[in-house]
Amino acid sequence: MKYQDYVDIYSDKGKVLGENIPIEALSPLYNPYINKLLQIVKSTVFIDLAKLQRMLAKGQVGYTTSLRQDEVKTMHQLDLDLLGNAHAIADALEKKLHVYSFNGYEDDTLVKLFNDDQCLMVRVPTLRLAIATGRDVIFTNVGLLMAQIISDMFNITPDNNPDGCGLIKTALFGRYPQMKSFNPGNPLFGFLKLPQELEGMGRGYQGVTINHLVALANKRTLDAVALATIFEQGAQFEMGNAAGWYERYNLLGMAYQGLNANNLVVDFVKENREGTVGSVIRSLMQRALEDGVIRQKGDKYPNILFSGYKLYSTDDPSLWNAYACAGLLAAVIVNIGASRAAQGISAVLATFGDLLIFESGGLPDPDFGRIMGTGLGFAFYTHSIYGGAGPGAFQMDHVLIRHTSGFFTPCVAAGMCLDSGTQIFNPQATSSIFFKIRDVLPIFQNPLKQIAESAEQIKDKFR
Amino acid sequence: MSEKKKKIKYEPQFYPGTEKVSERRRKLMDPERRLVKLRDIPDDDIVQLLGHRAPGSLYTSVHPPLDEIMEPYDPIRDLVVPTPGAQAGDRIRFVQFTDSFWSPVIAPWLRARMYFNRFRGVDTVIYSGREILEMRERDVEAATRLLIETEVFDPARTALKGLTVHGHALRLDSDGLMFDARRRYVYDKELKEVVYIKDMHARVLDDPIPVGRPLSEEELNEMDVTYRWNLTPYKSRTELLLIITRATNFRILGGFKPDLIKGM
Repeated sequence: MKYQDYVDIYSDKGKVLGENIPIEALSPLYNPYINKLLQIVKSTVFIDLAKLQRMLAKGQVGYTTSLRQDEVKTMHQLDLDLLGNAHAIADALEKKLHVYSFNGYEDDTLVKLFNDDQCLMVRVPTLRLAIATGRDVIFTNVGLLMAQIISDMFNITPDNNPDGCGLIKTALFGRYPQMKSFNPGNPLFGFLKLPQELEGMGRGYQGVTINHLVALANKRTLDAVALATIFEQGAQFEMGNAAGWYERYNLLGMAYQGLNANNLVVDFVKENREGTVGSVIRSLMQRALEDGVIRQKGDKYPNILFSGYKLYSTDDPSLWNAYACAGLLAAVIVNIGASRAAQGISAVLATFGDLLIFESGGLPDPDFGRIMGTGLGFAFYTHSIYGGAGPGAFQMDHVLIRHTSGFFTPCVAAGMCLDSGTQIFNPQATSSIFFKIRDVLPIFQNPLKQIAESAEQIKDKFR
Repeated sequence: MSEKKKKIKYEPQFYPGTEKVSERRRKLMDPERRLVKLRDIPDDDIVQLLGHRAPGSLYTSVHPPLDEIMEPYDPIRDLVVPTPGAQAGDRIRFVQFTDSFWSPVIAPWLRARMYFNRFRGVDTVIYSGREILEMRERDVEAATRLLIETEVFDPARTALKGLTVHGHALRLDSDGLMFDARRRYVYDKELKEVVYIKDMHARVLDDPIPVGRPLSEEELNEMDVTYRWNLTPYKSRTELLLIITRATNFRILGGFKPDLIKGM
């Protein structure tokens, strides 16, 4: 094994879920649960049949706004009973999509109706993904097959209804390919944004809206944090940001901030139930000193300055960063838990680093200042004349918030869970279907427990 | 990992520096240290200055009180104690201060540091000359009381400006007041106090609200929070410069390769 770091994973109630887990057993590379979750995320696509039927009936397609979606109304309508034929559609889709078990790949196609048979969940077989360069195949194949099924089922052909054919295409794919992306709120959608919309290599798993994760966690704070961490670190590993020098750095940060390792986050929150961001920083310093993560640099000048101000030093910068990131998350929880209003998330992210630097004698703030830098921009552009969306409506690869090693958006997800209804872009408004998706995909329930359990299964391999 | 580590009594240090500017910054940041109260402003006057509701009227709410909302189970949410405003479901309201460049008693960047140490449930954004503070309505009223009545408010050089915040970098007027394009406040020569004739949003008040006498130049020099050539000059920033240099060094080296800063 590469690293000699072991952690205990605790639940949000402070109960031990897994003990003495080597941090590598939590890596997206090895942890079976995280592996499976990431696999499901990139291979699953949904079709909102109710919405598709409504769009076809009204001829409202090709819109560009996410809220009202009524600025484009075509002259053509198709009154099709998709909902009444939902089961027949699901069967037909499965038949067309499935593959033979071949070349070592099992046929793991899954087509399932949920949300009162109004929504279709489709898992594209691994073989189809394996021969592809990316994950476009989930949108292209499923969308195209769906169009074929509608055409077959309701006899819509260029001969008898050419405009109907066009309407079906536009309802499913929006104005693609005239436009790079589908419409916002497209009836055909996945967890992640379309591959061609990505603005950098390896950012795939960051292409998810934070509110979707909040909904998938059913607004349970540390569950949303864990999910956001998995998506973020999945991307970090893909983009090479967690390779070599940074692997241990990312794994420790992931464990302590995202997975409540050694109950650090919950301890900080407990100690500061009625505290402030500043009091969390002092708890963090105390805990880091007690655990030997940092130490007083010396007992006389120049390590103690004339004012009595002490300098601290760390022999393990990666672990100190993990502690600082855990403190950062706790500070967001304490501040937003008090106001129960998510708008203050960015303020904490912008200021925590500054307070920590002056408290700790210059020791680096979370993610070596990347959190503070990103936080300042996030605060500036979500406030004042710049308006901007609510924090939860951001996708994790948004140009404002993507610049850290994956320790930023888990804090945003936590804050959104604690909001009691002050946000216009709340999870119910932007991501209501994901509350339902959580019910059909148990993998999103109790992520901390599932990670710890699967880490327990493999931990002996790392000794 | 489970063995118990020894308990350490940690002494917060807040900020480096030996001279009075550093000391002043430390004082404002330290929630254990009481701010000196300089003036008394009646409750209704604070409500009127903020201009969000009429004095005596009910608080408007953005959602029902927390006790009446059904929320999914979350142990973390149950752990943190909500502020009174959050508990009641108040709307989010704001107070915004502009601080003059000319020896103010506080500056925007220091406000953020102070707010996060002294207040709970804060949303704040730092700009060059002003700082907004957004909280639940009854919380923001309580915070405003502290911010106006104590030593972090100088009627002449800090001002409540909800909009048209300009004035931070402009010369003071003949009465020593910070410029305000909306003329929200004037110097009452008989009363020898600064009087607000408009609320934070520049709407004319029924009755002017006095907020006390401007602090004298000597007092301001004593309470200065900024290093400047004429008072607390550059050289005296040695400790602070050392910490900033150290932090920047760590960020650059550690950000390049974390292990480079081991033991430094």
